[in-house]
Amino acid sequence: MSKMEEAKIYVGNIDESARKARELLLGKMKLGRLVDWATAFSLWPVHLTTSCCSTEFAATWSPRFDAEQYGALPWVGSRQTNMIIIEGTVTTKMACALRITWEQMPPPKFVIAMGACSLDGGIFYNSYNIVKPWQVVPVDVYLPGCPPRPETVARAIVTLQRKIREKSIAGKWVEEGWRPDMKYVKPKEDVCSWWRG
Amino acid sequence: MSGEQETVDLEGLVSKALEGINYSISREKGYVEVSVPLESLREAALRLKNAGFDHVKSLTIVDYIKKGEFKAMYIVSSYLSEELSGGLIALSTTVKRDKAKLPSLSDVWISLLFQEREVYEMFGIEFEGHPDLRLLLLAPHIAELKPLRKEFIVKEEPIIRKPK
Repeated sequence: MSKMEEAKIYVGNIDESARKARELLLGKMKLGRLVDWATAFSLWPVHLTTSCCSTEFAATWSPRFDAEQYGALPWVGSRQTNMIIIEGTVTTKMACALRITWEQMPPPKFVIAMGACSLDGGIFYNSYNIVKPWQVVPVDVYLPGCPPRPETVARAIVTLQRKIREKSIAGKWVEEGWRPDMKYVKPKEDVCSWWRG
Repeated sequence: MSGEQETVDLEGLVSKALEGINYSISREKGYVEVSVPLESLREAALRLKNAGFDHVKSLTIVDYIKKGEFKAMYIVSSYLSEELSGGLIALSTTVKRDKAKLPSLSDVWISLLFQEREVYEMFGIEFEGHPDLRLLLLAPHIAELKPLRKEFIVKEEPIIRKPK
């Protein structure tokens, strides 16, 4: 195909033109790679403050550390976001809120578990009221520390970006409609059963 | 807050306020414990309120599982009276474990409204006459376990798993 042919302008029947243009574009580049690239630089975390790690979370986006340079910006509602950073302890009641927030976000969506409490309970290890986040939502990156420093949070975002681009998670998610590499996408137990009564 | 800095004679004040009520008083480190029987708890609370102790700092339950009883401690103090504000009084009573019911003192001290709800969910002790006795912090299936009672034992998981 010569360059003259590529620069063709399609006129006439719009359906026919759109079909031809799509074939031309998809023949050049996989759409999934474009989705991966775009998603990796627009990871917008939702504010889901469960505990004291949220101060470090706030400091990450403050002028000194400025995590916005990685293309991540905390946003207001779960409908406009595609990432959760779980900021600390998840109690039984908060597990329900976490799951609802995760369900509300549009795919492709990602989860970072931040702090010792969200890894294995931290200082609340072996408590009666603690739920580990991997029992509720699929977690992509674990981030140890009590609490982790802002550099660590920034590193986790970069790690997640690399993971999205190398494994082509977002692209496959869009193409296949569901995430292929995640085994435990649905929780084993109903975390909101107490709420429905 | 207490100890050497304390200037007011709490024992004398309590004996004046609780005249005619069967009680026992003991000096502990940092506070004065006044034990009353369950029947006269409400009367003692009202009289302490009139004597100037206007709020409850905390309501705690001690679980004596071998004796089969709970000890309820109402730590009361004063905001309004400057001379009383240095002292703490622990108004305490005992209740049997199998009949775990206490009279609600939330109409005497309004700060007990939330503390009684917390005790209700953590220990399963009912407060008779409480206007709004609901769960405060826990989900219902956790509150059923009564997690702060002594018979509730958390299953211990080792941090390092033993190799099989």
